[in-house]
Amino acid sequence: MPYIPPEHPNKSAFLKKVREALGRTHPILHAPDHPPLKSNIARQREKVRTIVARNDARMLTNINRLMENASFASWNVHRVESYEDAAATIARVARSHKVKNVIRSSEEIFKKIDVDKSLRSVGAPPTILASSRTRRRGQLKSIAFKSEMGVTGVGYAIAETASCAVIPRKGVARLTSLAPSVLILLVETEQILENLDDFFAITRLKRMESRSHGPNYYNFISGPSRTADIEQTLTVGVHGPGEVHMVIVG
Amino acid sequence: MAQVKTAEFKKISKQAIKNEKLQHSLDHVMEHFVSARSSIIDQDIGAENWELLRTRAASIKQSTIENLDYYLDLVDKNVRRNGGYVHFANDANEANQIVLDIAKRNEVKTVIKSKSMVSEEMGINEVLEKAGIEPVETDLGEYIIQLAGETPFHIIAPAMHKTKEEVSDLFQDWLKTAPTQDIKRLCIYARDALREKFATAEMGISGANFVVAETGTVCLVTNEGNGRMTTSAPRVHVVLAGMEKIVPAIEDLALFLRLLPRSATGQRITSYNTFASGPRNQSDEDGPEEFHLVIVDNGRMNLLKDEEMREALRCIRCGACLNHCPVYKKIGGHAYGWVYSGPIGAIVTPPMTNMKVASDLPYASTLCGTCRDVCPVKIDIPKLLLHLRHKVAEGSSSERGSAWMERLFIGQWHKTVRNRKSLERRVKLARIFLKPISRNGKIKKLRAPMVSGWTNSRDFPALAPKSFGDIWKSGLSGNNGNRNQ
Repeated sequence: MPYIPPEHPNKSAFLKKVREALGRTHPILHAPDHPPLKSNIARQREKVRTIVARNDARMLTNINRLMENASFASWNVHRVESYEDAAATIARVARSHKVKNVIRSSEEIFKKIDVDKSLRSVGAPPTILASSRTRRRGQLKSIAFKSEMGVTGVGYAIAETASCAVIPRKGVARLTSLAPSVLILLVETEQILENLDDFFAITRLKRMESRSHGPNYYNFISGPSRTADIEQTLTVGVHGPGEVHMVIVG
Repeated sequence: MAQVKTAEFKKISKQAIKNEKLQHSLDHVMEHFVSARSSIIDQDIGAENWELLRTRAASIKQSTIENLDYYLDLVDKNVRRNGGYVHFANDANEANQIVLDIAKRNEVKTVIKSKSMVSEEMGINEVLEKAGIEPVETDLGEYIIQLAGETPFHIIAPAMHKTKEEVSDLFQDWLKTAPTQDIKRLCIYARDALREKFATAEMGISGANFVVAETGTVCLVTNEGNGRMTTSAPRVHVVLAGMEKIVPAIEDLALFLRLLPRSATGQRITSYNTFASGPRNQSDEDGPEEFHLVIVDNGRMNLLKDEEMREALRCIRCGACLNHCPVYKKIGGHAYGWVYSGPIGAIVTPPMTNMKVASDLPYASTLCGTCRDVCPVKIDIPKLLLHLRHKVAEGSSSERGSAWMERLFIGQWHKTVRNRKSLERRVKLARIFLKPISRNGKIKKLRAPMVSGWTNSRDFPALAPKSFGDIWKSGLSGNNGNRNQ
């Protein structure tokens, strides 16, 4: 059982004040009417079935839309058919930047795409940014900050916004997709969803089915790190990667 | 709490209008935001669908606010279930104390901050500095104004009034970097300086764009990556959120993420959206071990109490009303005197701070209504401005901000016009007094005290030599018989 912090001593007085401001004396007993909150697992399964069927039927359209929107949002998009081509693409990017320090996460997709071999061939063998018997968690930060390029897989890619949902967990550090100045994300075609609504509906079902509250942290990455804070001039690579590559495989 | 300086509204506005460089950048930036917004909406949503999205968003936000106690309870339960702490702060002082306690307990020496307007309300940087803790703003714009010792000029472009030369000077002074006109270079200087802080800071403070009640998820909408750094690198993550930031369900984010970036910067989506619901899981490789959500009132209760004003709490701080406001475009953000500027600042600052000190703000508008038309959550800002003007003129003694002279004059006027005879008498009297200052049927610029403000920029018609009543009595009544012909 994870630790559940205690209630803040101010809470009930605070809520009472809110109620009084709203002109009520008692708490609301029934949840206010808001459709997504009323979903049950059967209904959600049905909903997700429709979503999956639609996404299957429109896979080609979705891929094209993802690629189009990604280019618009300053991604470098690589469309490859095989895992070997994906590995070769990653090596090409590494060579063009002459990088030496590459970090990667360890996910299922790396069992299919042999990036270690291809990156070794261009003189940039990647380090897996994860704690192990020989490496403590505390060391990860300094490794990440020294790295020049990061490679990681994604949970989903969303065509509507050209967003990749990157979900940190064991083997997938938050900093892999954040600290290096060049980032490569690996997307498999079956991970592509049409829109944001699909993503939230599917993850809701996953939470329901696993009876868990889902990951405590994830990000949508939708382009390079950018700012226009000085004279409204767009500049990339402020704190995060200034160059982002999306490799779409399959 | 950050000081309210709205009393200087007129003085600072005048300075801003005279500042040519500032006028130039205001023109440039505002135009950029306005055209980026309209073109991205046309491009992939269309006016009709945009209207539907706004209506839905307004109704979700309004119903959340009407049931706020329920949703706050839900947020609290879910964040704690995820292993995070939830704190409730009535005002800025309480919120500062909560943050300070967390920092002290964790022996924090450096705090990295990603953008948070609530933290500006609290004036937390000053509080941390006094306690010997170094606060570092990491949003590039916020970092620049922190070095300059200023307050944000615009909700989403805090340093838009600074030129690259000024930024270069600031960096030269503080970071000992070489002077440069190259903006890319300046960004790299900031990146390098802040990387050191990211590597060592023990605590990160972020704001919240949305807090999802059912999952206890804090959603951050950012472009630079500092929001991700703040929530990834340090050991402790503290979120400061105004109590109105809540949306009920995670699906609602699909809607709000379509509205916010388009309204704010004219982007389809920002580079990063961060979803944080608690500390890292045991098995995670990195991320904070402690997670705190501080829910802040700090004057919002005054908006909630007033049924007319309540809708102002729907605001998602996109800044579209600023970008489209003819008044903001001229006077900029500093004249408003507190954290929030532009039309939204004009309606939230007086109730949240002090009606009397901020009494100029409800008048800082032409009531053209563009702010209402572009608002992604359909806040009827002109209506609320009128509501506040009413309070300034005739509210309770604690709210009233009008001058006693003005009230006396209006009171007398009210008495006069209610009685026909007294009105006629006074009009005659006024005609005698006004005659010497009327020229060619107009009353022009007067240099006398009290009235000069009224005649500064407009001519008043002089009183007619004969009133309608007089004409009726003498001439028209004689023609009575003609009407029947």
